[in-house]
Amino acid sequence: MRIVIATVQVPFVRGGAEALAEGLRDALRAAGHTADIVALPFKWYPPECILDQMLAWRLLDVTESFGTPTDLLIGLRFPAYLVPHPRKVLWLLHQHRTAYEWWDHPFADLSHYPNGLEVRDAIRRADGAFIPQAQAVFTISATVGRRLKEYCGIDSAVLHPPPAHAARFYHAAPEDYLFFPSRLSRPKRQELVLQALAQTRQPVRVRFAGSADEPAHAGALQRLASKLHVQDRVDWLGSIGDDDKIHQYAHALAVVFPPADEDFGYVALEAMLAAKPVITCTDSGGPLEVVEHGKTGLVIEPTPAAFAHAMDTLWEDRARGAAWGAAGRARIERLNITWDNVVRTLAGCS
Amino acid sequence: MKLSWFSPLPPAQTAIAQYTASLLPALRRHAAVTLWTDQPQWDAHLEDYATVRRFDQACMPWGELNRADMSLYHIGNSPFHGAIWRIARETPGVVVLHDARLQDLFRAVYQEHGRRAEYLDVARRYYGASGRAAARDFWSDKLPSAYMAARYPFTPLAVAGALGVIVHTRDAHLAAQQSFDGPSALVALPYPVAASPACRRWAPPYRLVMFGYIDWNRRLNEVLNALAGFPQRDQLRLDVYGRLFNGEDARARLHALGLCPLVTLHGFVPAQQLDAALASAHLAINLRYPTMGEASFSQLQLWAQGLPSLVTPAGWYAALPHDAVAFVRPAYEQEDLHTHWQALLADPQRFARMGEAGRRHVEAHHTPAAYAHAVIDLVAQADRFRACAAAYQLADRAAVEMAAWLGPTASPHALRRAATAVAGLVNRDQAAD
Amino acid sequence: MRILIATTQVPFVWGGAEAHAEGLRAALCAAGHAAEIIRIPFKGYPPQRIPEQMLACRLLDVTESCGAPIDMLIGLKFPAYLIPHPNKVLWIADQYRMAYEPREHPFVGGLLEFPAGRQVRALIHAADRRLIADAKALLANSLTVAARLKRDCNIDATALYHPPPHAEQFVCAGYEDYLFFPSRLTHFKRQALALRALAHTRLPIHVRFAGCADDPAYLPELRQLANELGVAPRVEWLGYLDDEEKRRQYARALAVVFPPEAEDYGYVTLEAMLSSKAVITCADSGGPLEFVLHERTGLIADPTPAALAAALDRVWAARDEARAWGEAGRARYDDLAISWHTVVRTLLA
Repeated sequence: MRIVIATVQVPFVRGGAEALAEGLRDALRAAGHTADIVALPFKWYPPECILDQMLAWRLLDVTESFGTPTDLLIGLRFPAYLVPHPRKVLWLLHQHRTAYEWWDHPFADLSHYPNGLEVRDAIRRADGAFIPQAQAVFTISATVGRRLKEYCGIDSAVLHPPPAHAARFYHAAPEDYLFFPSRLSRPKRQELVLQALAQTRQPVRVRFAGSADEPAHAGALQRLASKLHVQDRVDWLGSIGDDDKIHQYAHALAVVFPPADEDFGYVALEAMLAAKPVITCTDSGGPLEVVEHGKTGLVIEPTPAAFAHAMDTLWEDRARGAAWGAAGRARIERLNITWDNVVRTLAGCS
Repeated sequence: MKLSWFSPLPPAQTAIAQYTASLLPALRRHAAVTLWTDQPQWDAHLEDYATVRRFDQACMPWGELNRADMSLYHIGNSPFHGAIWRIARETPGVVVLHDARLQDLFRAVYQEHGRRAEYLDVARRYYGASGRAAARDFWSDKLPSAYMAARYPFTPLAVAGALGVIVHTRDAHLAAQQSFDGPSALVALPYPVAASPACRRWAPPYRLVMFGYIDWNRRLNEVLNALAGFPQRDQLRLDVYGRLFNGEDARARLHALGLCPLVTLHGFVPAQQLDAALASAHLAINLRYPTMGEASFSQLQLWAQGLPSLVTPAGWYAALPHDAVAFVRPAYEQEDLHTHWQALLADPQRFARMGEAGRRHVEAHHTPAAYAHAVIDLVAQADRFRACAAAYQLADRAAVEMAAWLGPTASPHALRRAATAVAGLVNRDQAAD
Repeated sequence: MRILIATTQVPFVWGGAEAHAEGLRAALCAAGHAAEIIRIPFKGYPPQRIPEQMLACRLLDVTESCGAPIDMLIGLKFPAYLIPHPNKVLWIADQYRMAYEPREHPFVGGLLEFPAGRQVRALIHAADRRLIADAKALLANSLTVAARLKRDCNIDATALYHPPPHAEQFVCAGYEDYLFFPSRLTHFKRQALALRALAHTRLPIHVRFAGCADDPAYLPELRQLANELGVAPRVEWLGYLDDEEKRRQYARALAVVFPPEAEDYGYVTLEAMLSSKAVITCADSGGPLEFVLHERTGLIADPTPAALAAALDRVWAARDEARAWGEAGRARYDDLAISWHTVVRTLLA
C-alpha cells in the first residue's frame, strides 16, 4: 500500500513525536509498504496562526502522487490530521492541548490571548467536524483517548507506540545515577526533580539528557539547581545521540520520569526495555498505563518530599530496584508494544 | 484575437441565433471567431465569417478552448442554453446575458440530470430558506414561472465564476452587478438594418402582426379578447407567426370568439416569408408581461422594417423612445389596445411616422459595428480580470473550509486574514473586502 | 544562523530536487549553521489545486520557532518559495514550468489541457510577478532558469551552480566501448531521440541507458521503438542503479550522451565532467549548454536523429579526441569552482 503519514514539524525541535513518525514510516516500509511523511511547519502563537495553519492543511491534496492514489493517510498530530483524505486513520499523539485540558491550567497558553477563546472554539469545532471523518481513530495511550472522549465525545482505541530502536536497549550493572531523559520544558517537570534532590537523605545523583525547547529554559534550570545547592549532584548531558542514550539507560540505577499529564512518554517504555525501575507521579498520565507501583517502579505524589523519598528508596535498596526492573522488562514483553502490531492495526484500516 | 463563441445558430428558432448571425460580419473585423455548437446542423453562410465547430460535452477540447483568447457564452432563459452554461462553469469566459431571469433554464439544467438536491442547495445559497422552499415548489410545478421570475430569477448562477458580463438592459446590468465583481458592459442589442426600407400602403384592412415564440407572457389571449370586443374589428387582420405556447387553447379561443376570419395562426415560417409578412404589416403587437429582463431582438427587427409596435412599458421596453412605440399598460390592456387601434384607423400616418422613427433609432443606436467594438473592449477587460477571478474562487474555497470551524460568533478577523492572504496573490498591499 | 530551506514534496518520490535541498542543508550545517528542510506536499493537478496550495504556503509562519527567530528562508521551488519571510532568498530550481512553457510536458499534462487551466495560469503568473520580488536576493539554478525567469516574469536572477550529490566520489576508470545515458526515462529527456539517432549511425555504437520510467508504460514503449528501429541489440536498459553502480558506469564509459529538451540544470552533465567524460548534447538542451564546450569538452548537435548520429559516430571513431575532451571537461569543472562552499557564501551574503 502507499501510505502517507501526516504530522507537523516544529523547526529545530526534535523529540518523541518526530521519532514516532519516522519509526512508523520505517516500520511500514519494513513491512513492504511504500510510506512517506508529509509535514508542514507549525507555529501555534499568536493564536490566529493556528487558524491559518488549519486552513493550510485543509487546502492540501495528498490523495495521489503522479496519478497513483495514496491508499491510506495516517494522521498523527494537530492540525495535520485535518488534511482531507477519503481513507484516513488517526493515531493521535495528542490534540492541541492548550485548547483542552491546558486551557485553564498552569501550562495554559491560548487562554492568555484576547482571541484565545475564539480560537479555542474553532479548534474544538474543527476537531469535532473532522476527526469523526476518519475510518478509525487510535490514540497512543488511554490518557489521550480519555481526553478525546471527555472533550469531543469521540471514541477511540489505544495503540501504544514502541520506542525507537527498541531492540537495542539492554541491561547492565547499575551505576550511581538516576537517568531522566526528556526535552527540558515545564510540562516534563525537571524542576520537580531538582526540588526533590534538595530533600534527599542519600547522595542521589541525576543525569538529565535532552535540550530545551526554549533556549532560555536550560539556563533557568541550571540556576535553580544552583539555588537549591544540588548542582554538584546533577549532570546536564544536553542533546545526546541514540547510542549514548541507550548506554545511559543501560547503566542507570533507575529512571525518573515525572511529567505532568503526559500523553504517553517513551521514557517509561525505554526504561522497561532496559529493565530499570521507573519513578513517576500520580498525575503523570501516560506512564501510569505501564508502570505498576510496587511492582515495576514507584508512582508517587508530585511533591518534592514524596519524590525525594522515592529516589532515596531506590538509591538504598538496589536489589529491590533490580527486581522491579526485571519485572518491568517482562511486562513490556507481555504488552505486545511492537511495530508489527502497529503496522498491522493501522494498515488494516484501509 | 481569437474568440470562441458559444451560441444557438440559425436555423435554431431563437432570436439569439439571428443575433449571432447578424453580428458576425462586424465581429470578424476585430477577431477570428470560432462558433461552437452542439446542433447537428447550421446555416452554411455562417462559415463565410467564422469557423463552426461541433462540441460534445462528454469530450470537450479544453486545450483548444484555452488557447483562444476568450470564450463567450450566450445565456438565455431556455433549456437549450444548459450545455453552454455548463461549459462556461468549467472554462470561465465572458457571459452574454440575453435574459436576466433564468428560472426556466436552471430548473431544466438540474432536472435533466436528476440533481434536485443540488438545485435546492443553489436556491438556498442565493435566496435563503424562502428561496429554497419556492424552488422546491417550482420544481414540482406548484409555482408558476412568473412567480420565480419576479422573486428568484437565479441570475447569480449564470454569472458565477465569469470573467466578464455583457447585458442589454439596465435591469439586467443591475442584477449582474449585484452578484458579479468583475467587468461588465451594458450594450445596446445590435441589429443590421437593411438598405431599403419597406413600402407600405396605409389603407384598411390594417394588418396586425405578432411573431416569435409566443410564450405565456406575450398576452395572446388578451389580444384576442380585445380584438373580439373591438367594434371595428373587421377593419383589422391579425397574423400570428411562430410557435405557440398553447396552440390548442389558442385555436379553441379563436373559434369561441368568432375570430377565425380575422386571425390566422401561421406557426413557424421560413425567415424570408416572415420578412415579407412584416414588410406588408401595419402594426406589430410585441407585448411582454411580465418581462424576463430581456432586450428584444424582435423589436429591433420590427423597427428595421419600419413597423410601429405596441409594447408593454416594463423592463427594457419602458425605456424605448416614445415616438417609436405605443404603450399598452398591463392594468389597462384592453382599453389601451382599443385606443391604439382606434388611432390607427383614424390617423394611420401617425403610425407610419412611428415606424420610421423606430427605424432611425435602430440605425443610430443598434449597429452591429458598435456592438462588436464593445465586445472586444469587454473581452480585453475580462482577460485582465482572469487572475482576480481565480483569486475569488480560491477565496470561496477557503471560506468553505473555514465554515467548518468558524461559528456564528466568529469575528470577521479570521476571514479577513485568509482574504488578505488570497488578495496578496494578485494585488499587493490591498486588503480584500 | 537558523535557516530553513523550503522546497516541495511529491510523496514517495525522491530525486534530483530532493538531493539539491539535502545537499544545501548539509553544506549549511557544515558551515556551522542550524539548517532544516521544510517540504510542502504539492500536487499540481487538477489546476484548481494549485492556487489552494499557493494559499497554504502563504498561510505559514516560519519567522520563528519556539520563541527563537528563524533568520533566513531559502526557497527552492514553486509554490514553497511563496512562504512569507522577511529575510527570504530564492534559489529557484524552476518556476512552475507547466504554467509557463508554451509546449506542455506530455506526461503530467499541460495546464491548458484542463478546463480551468487558463485562469489558474493567470493567477500563477500574477503571484510570481508580485511575490518573487519579496525576496532579498534572487538566484537561479542555472542561466537557463534565469533566462526563463526573465522572459516570463521579468525578474533578474543570478545563476548559482551547485555540485551534484557525492561529487567527490566520481572517478574515471578508462574508456570502454559504450556511451552512457543516465536519466529518468521520460519524453523530455529524449531517450527516444537517442534511439532514432542510433538508427542513423554508421558505426556499431552501444548505448547503456540507466534510470526508471516515471510512467511504467514508457519503458516498453522505448523498447518497442528500439526494436522497430533495429537498434535493440546495441542498446542496454540498466534500469535503476544505486549511486555506486551509477558512478561505475560513468567511470568506464567512452562518453556520456545527454540530449534532454530544455533541461533546467542537469546533474548528468556535471557528473560526466567529474568522471572526465565528454558530453554529447543538443542545441536545445538548456542547462548542459552552460557547461559543454563544443569540440572542447564534448559535442553540441542539432536535435535531429541525423545530427545526433553524426556526433555519436564522431566520438565513437575518435577515441583519443573523446578522451581529451573528457579530461578537458574535468578541468573545466574545476575551473568553474562549483562547490557548496561557494553556494553557502553566496546565499548568506
